[in-house]
Amino acid sequence: MNYPEPDKSRLARRQPLIDRLRQDLGPDQIIHHQEDLVAYECDALSAYRQRPMLVTLPDNTQQVSAVLKACSDLDIPIVPWGAGTGLSGGALPREDGVVLSTARMREILDVDLENRTVTVQPGVTNRGVSAAVEQYDFYYAPDPSSQIACSIGGNIAENSGGVHCLKYGTTTNNLLGMEVVLADGEVVRGGGKGMDQAGYDLLGLLTGSEGLLAITTEATLRILPKPEVARAMMAVYDSVEAAGQAVAEIIAAGMVPAGMEIMDQLSVEAVEGFVGAGYPLGVAALLLVELDGPQSEVEHQVGELEELLERAGASEIRRAQTEAERLALWAGRKAAFPAMGRVSPDYYCMDGTIPRGKLPLVLGRIGELAQTYGLRVANVFHAGDGNLHPLVLYDSNIEGDLEKAEELGADILRLCVEVGGVLSGEHGVGIEKRELMPCMFKDADLDAQERIKTGFDQKQILNPGKVFPILRNCAEGGAMHVHGGEERFPDLERF
Amino acid sequence: MDESNNAADAVQEQVRQALAENAPLDIFAGRTKSFLGRKQSAMPLDLSGLNGVLSYEPGELVLVVRPGTRLSEVESLLDDQNQYFAFEPPGWGEAATVGGTVACNLSGPRRFKMGALRDHLLGIEMIDGYGERIRAGGKVVKNVTGYDLSKALAGSFGTLGVLTEVCLKVWPRPETQATLIVNGLDPGPALERMLDWAARPLQITGLAYDEDTGLVVRIEGPAPAVRVQLETLRSGETAECASMEEDQSRVFWRSWRELEWLVSKPGLQRWRFSGPPTRMVRLMEALKAEGLDRWGLDWAGGLLWALLPVDAEVGLVHRTAFRHEALGWRFAVDERNEEAFTPPNAGVVRMNQMLKRSLDPQGIFNPGKMFALDEV
Repeated sequence: MNYPEPDKSRLARRQPLIDRLRQDLGPDQIIHHQEDLVAYECDALSAYRQRPMLVTLPDNTQQVSAVLKACSDLDIPIVPWGAGTGLSGGALPREDGVVLSTARMREILDVDLENRTVTVQPGVTNRGVSAAVEQYDFYYAPDPSSQIACSIGGNIAENSGGVHCLKYGTTTNNLLGMEVVLADGEVVRGGGKGMDQAGYDLLGLLTGSEGLLAITTEATLRILPKPEVARAMMAVYDSVEAAGQAVAEIIAAGMVPAGMEIMDQLSVEAVEGFVGAGYPLGVAALLLVELDGPQSEVEHQVGELEELLERAGASEIRRAQTEAERLALWAGRKAAFPAMGRVSPDYYCMDGTIPRGKLPLVLGRIGELAQTYGLRVANVFHAGDGNLHPLVLYDSNIEGDLEKAEELGADILRLCVEVGGVLSGEHGVGIEKRELMPCMFKDADLDAQERIKTGFDQKQILNPGKVFPILRNCAEGGAMHVHGGEERFPDLERF
Repeated sequence: MDESNNAADAVQEQVRQALAENAPLDIFAGRTKSFLGRKQSAMPLDLSGLNGVLSYEPGELVLVVRPGTRLSEVESLLDDQNQYFAFEPPGWGEAATVGGTVACNLSGPRRFKMGALRDHLLGIEMIDGYGERIRAGGKVVKNVTGYDLSKALAGSFGTLGVLTEVCLKVWPRPETQATLIVNGLDPGPALERMLDWAARPLQITGLAYDEDTGLVVRIEGPAPAVRVQLETLRSGETAECASMEEDQSRVFWRSWRELEWLVSKPGLQRWRFSGPPTRMVRLMEALKAEGLDRWGLDWAGGLLWALLPVDAEVGLVHRTAFRHEALGWRFAVDERNEEAFTPPNAGVVRMNQMLKRSLDPQGIFNPGKMFALDEV
């Protein structure tokens, strides 16, 4: 990967910057000892590492603003950092830059059940939002797999989704108001507890902007009443294509399940050996479907769904009869990534989205590509929304294997774009897919986006080096690498 | 495709010409919403010829159309496949187009449950202020690749660029619907019910109130489920209730979203206020001082429709809205409608300017349509 050389003049301004920051931050809010900076070398895309010049830990909006002003005045890049769980290197530090961590901004500021909103500081975890309203039978819908650790600020930066987003949307559909700090330190509040914004839809623009336009210091989120019931079932098919066809028929029948997930044979076997979820072995494809909603509706649909799955050629259907069985079905799926450690020393996780109808074509081509490269690919995906997570299996101890895996991964993403899809469904572009952007966007498209970046951040101090390609051609890209099953956050579910 | 692509090329040529001459454009198609926004004097750019469905794949839940395509045409196409736009846009006239609906980010009664138009807008192609045709977003339902410019275009009233293609998420239409009417509630208790019911795990997709109609609650889904849920609400209600079965319910909600119940009279005009549901009855009470006539609540309380005197002091109405954390839209009759929208705060204005100048540095797209030029 081509990461910019650290700017020596910036490195020389390290001490003046520390002196300036000490005017506004306490001594424990500025991390500058080398041994303490190690923890901030990488996010969850741990193949790429850079040690930041400094880390700042502001407590409040005023301090975030002070850090931005100082960095703006001294022309020092800032890398916003939520929980460091991102999978695309969006929070990868720069040697000549400062990490601004929101870890100390963890307050839930307001719970408004009547307007159905929760207002939080950016360091509150995704799970923390639901936890704050659970007792009142509400929840926050987006549920990225890392939800016990990932922060709302990071969710906004990456427009995080989860397994329920076909029905309930991603972060952008569940955000009503924001307070942000602009590159020059100005604090701006937009949106609120209503359903419209004055002027342009800035919330929509900022969500998924990967920390390049502003830093979130407060978010007002929409909460939903918890569904009365949830019912899950598992169906076995003799090919992934057949499972994909079953998904198409569910949608054609007018049902919108809360979640639909497909796993191929390699994934099912890895998972079963890892957690023993009770999945049948030797099957080509497994489809998990969950319905949620009012009891009267779900009970009505569950029978119809079972018939549909059967008509679509399921050789076995298992309905979770209890809440424990439902959770067990999901536990297998959620263990799919870590389970790969059992079948391969390393894996490399991709995140393209395709039109669902192209699934047979894309799977066929992924199979051919895998053969060409001499590598295995396990497929797990969010079937409802066409978001693929092909896992390229490789061994970093074999020379050239990593590079092969990267090339295969980039080919898969190019294939996703070729069939009308996108490079990233939910992990973001960050550093890893930056150089693939020209596969999806023309020069004029990228010019417009970069003008917006410049419009918001003239000095290019907010997370520079991310999202936009250094070279404007359809070049190499990477993805999440895991060696020996050691993820940076091994305890987090990944799906 | 080829024909509409030629039309898009022709529009691009017109935009380039306008850029070369520095001549501002007044973008329109069906002219069904010319009462929204401020009046401007600029060279007309008609997009009604830039029409046609580019792709519609029901199984993908994705529709791609040219902006000049009539909303009614698209809606009947979706209807044939038992699908619909879940955001339930009002048309406010037969000539309404998809592009105009996107430009105004218009969403109907289902908004509080299913999201706004912007939540269903997956991607766009547009001509920017450099005369380039650019794409943003995608044609799949889950995407985080580059800035989501499509959201910013929704509700920009044509001030950021000229749409040449829009990609929208479509949704399976529920099997049936029914509506419960609760009569005799005062505004306060009606709002209380709205807040309570919107917090229940039911498929309530319409929750509106007006003093003549009463409190109306729509439930959608499979027939047996609709029946059970309607009964749940009715059995817990002490006030007098009536109900509307499927056909009647459909007719009612269509006429509600088209504002047929809020007929303007001489000397009065329509206003739309959007804000936190809990504040909207208080906002309504405050507007009585400005001569409030008929009014109603939509979006489970989050939207207040009102008739106010044409000569009400506009700035004062906006300030009243602002005090209640709400945003007002004034529907113009014939006049210039100088203060059409409640202005954003200074910080948001600055961010709006950053965006506007990045995409339209010469300021040729609908200049002054949303706010006076010195504001944005």
